[in-house]
Amino acid sequence: MGDRPTVAGQGTAGRRSDADHESRIAQLRRQLAVMSGQPDRLSAERPDVSVIPVPVALEPLFPAGGLATGAVLACDGARSVLLSLIASASASGRRVGIVGMPRLCLLSAAELGADLSRIATVPYPGADPVEVASVLLDGMDVVVLNLAGASVPPSRAKVLMGRLRKRSSTLIVTGGQWPGVRTSIDAEVTGYRNSLSHSISGSGSGRSGMGRIGGMRLRVSAVGRGRCRSGVDVELVADGFGASRRVGMVRTDGYRSVAADPVLEVAN
Amino acid sequence: MGDPSSRGVSGPRSPARRVLALWCPDWPASAAGAAADLAPDVPVAVLHANRVVACSAAARRSGVRRGMRNRQAQAACPKMVLAGSDAGRDGQWYEPIVAAVTEVVPTVEVLRPGLLVIPLTATLCRHLGDEQAIAERLTDVIGACGAEASAGVADEMFTAVLAARRGQCVEPGGDAAWLAPLPIAELAVESAFGGHERTELVDLLRRLGITTIGAFAGFPIRDVATRFTADAVAAHRLANAVPDRGPVGGRIQEDLLIEYDCDPPIDRVDAAAFVGRRLADELHRRLAAMSVCCTRLTVEAVTQLGQRHTRTCRAVAPLTADDIACRVRWQLDGWLTGGRGTHGQRPDSPIALLRIDPVEVIDSGAMHYTLSGHGLPESESDGERARAVLARVQGLLGGDAVKIPVLSGGRGPSDQVRLVTLGEDSVPHHDRSAPWPGRLPQPSPATLAEAAVAVLDPDGDPVRVSARGAFSAEPALVVGHRTWSVRWWAGPWPTGLDGTARAQVLLDDTRALLLHYRSEHWIVEGIYE
Repeated sequence: MGDRPTVAGQGTAGRRSDADHESRIAQLRRQLAVMSGQPDRLSAERPDVSVIPVPVALEPLFPAGGLATGAVLACDGARSVLLSLIASASASGRRVGIVGMPRLCLLSAAELGADLSRIATVPYPGADPVEVASVLLDGMDVVVLNLAGASVPPSRAKVLMGRLRKRSSTLIVTGGQWPGVRTSIDAEVTGYRNSLSHSISGSGSGRSGMGRIGGMRLRVSAVGRGRCRSGVDVELVADGFGASRRVGMVRTDGYRSVAADPVLEVAN
Repeated sequence: MGDPSSRGVSGPRSPARRVLALWCPDWPASAAGAAADLAPDVPVAVLHANRVVACSAAARRSGVRRGMRNRQAQAACPKMVLAGSDAGRDGQWYEPIVAAVTEVVPTVEVLRPGLLVIPLTATLCRHLGDEQAIAERLTDVIGACGAEASAGVADEMFTAVLAARRGQCVEPGGDAAWLAPLPIAELAVESAFGGHERTELVDLLRRLGITTIGAFAGFPIRDVATRFTADAVAAHRLANAVPDRGPVGGRIQEDLLIEYDCDPPIDRVDAAAFVGRRLADELHRRLAAMSVCCTRLTVEAVTQLGQRHTRTCRAVAPLTADDIACRVRWQLDGWLTGGRGTHGQRPDSPIALLRIDPVEVIDSGAMHYTLSGHGLPESESDGERARAVLARVQGLLGGDAVKIPVLSGGRGPSDQVRLVTLGEDSVPHHDRSAPWPGRLPQPSPATLAEAAVAVLDPDGDPVRVSARGAFSAEPALVVGHRTWSVRWWAGPWPTGLDGTARAQVLLDDTRALLLHYRSEHWIVEGIYE
């Protein structure tokens, strides 16, 4: 449509070709930078990679600003982080397949904003969950695979990752070893929040018998190929009453390296 | 319906849906007369169970009526020829008439011998002229066969049949108004629309003082449904001329089942896929020739030793040749490779017979696609792909392997999400908008669990929940596969009248648990993590 400018559309076509021109120059510059060996690969790759949104609080952990398609992500530790990734992916219209996780509480995902109609689960995938995941990768945008302690041989992983790139889906593995993981996320709970006192309970601050668990504080750290470990502290909070009650994930601190960060709050 | 006139491009002469009914009066008597080779003016009556069910016009002139006893009828008309009722004879003598009508109009539905309906489509009107012209032409055709017929046109099939009995043409949209002044007995006059039950209903209504169809139609449907039988609801719909199914074009439904004798027997996946592909093409060709789409398909494989493997798959969008081939391949793939699932079993011998049966077909014209949005077939390619891979996983692991979560009503975290097998109706178990007292506020635990633990007080005695909904003592220890001390606890919150309760505890290794107390035992229901 835009290839042939009509008389009426001269102005728009002209502007568009200017923009095309500029983006083309920028792309050529990036290619030059890559070919001359400058360490600019991140910026060179970035524009072509489409990403699947992640919760805003977790964005600093993802260099591309979201789940990169065609890549494998490992997500271990506290399940809330995995659930929030599922929630944001399904809320953005992606289809999510979950393999081998009968214990995952999808109610919790729904509270985090997941669109359950876009989620399909295969709770008991049988003897070979990787096979099931590889089938699902053909049609789902995000596949969450519980390896159940298994470690996948590189030859098999390579085949699967080829398919992953072709279909531009994302594989999230948990509970096992996967060779060639681009980003590895780990999360641990550092404290709980009492719905009444609005403080982190435990260590004597919350009285027993009062309130309920109204949220939790998580330390989420990510390590990836070619970058050092980085971490964020996020808090899962529930606000509001009745039908308007919502669970959200908010950041509680800046974005800094875990190594430089003294451990402030040990587990209660 | 799916006829082209529903697009509204044709003129006002042929609106969305018109039905022409052709009624041959006293057909059983006419057929009996024709079978006995009698002249048309000889009085004939057909008897069933010693009562007159039909009589010719000549007999009626002598005073014979339907429902009379044999003796009464014979007294009224001593010269009358009597015949027993015979549905086979009625159909046999009606067949030449149907054939003659089909010569002119190919889409004919025979309601019973002596009564047929024809959907008046825009195409038909274009070829044969307006409704009047078609009706005249068809009555002439039937007349040429030696029978007499009267025609009626209306929007609904039932109205058209009643109109045919009077030789009238009901204005478009005027069905209900036309029916209103008719006596209530007309509801039961045509056996094709209601049997014995309808006669009883009409009798009852008349005794209640409802004498016209319009009076019955005026009642709210809810009142009719709560006071009368299901048949009354159907009658009420007829009386109101509520749009019902249109006449089915008289296409002969061929047997679409396809069978293939595998010779040599199949024991490899690729051979099965090859055969499946060929059968799918064949089936699709047949479906296309009849202009129907398949929405439900049963694939059955029979081994040499007689073991059967049947699976039925349903598709929202019509299955294409590729879809059919894939379904066949996935099913045989899963079966022949022994099913990688837990409950898979291999066939005991090679496959000897393959059978594909389209158990549900619909008229391809009746398929409606929305142009955009969340339409029925969800034709955006990603949804299509997702469905295909999920069906494939079902082929590998068995039908109930793929689950779709649906939010449901309940109190516990596992009650509030129902996992529905893919392909089943995704309806929640319970109403989610109900109040559910005792439901825990958000957030819910991220991990579900089902582990029995013991909750002990500082003295080592088990903690119970009293009838008043309080702990018997303060919980201090949780004993599972090891012992944790409790740093913080909250609850218990009773969840019903059956003595169950929930509580939250925070253990010394930074884990908060949701505990459920039922029948004097504590169960870890979820982990907040």
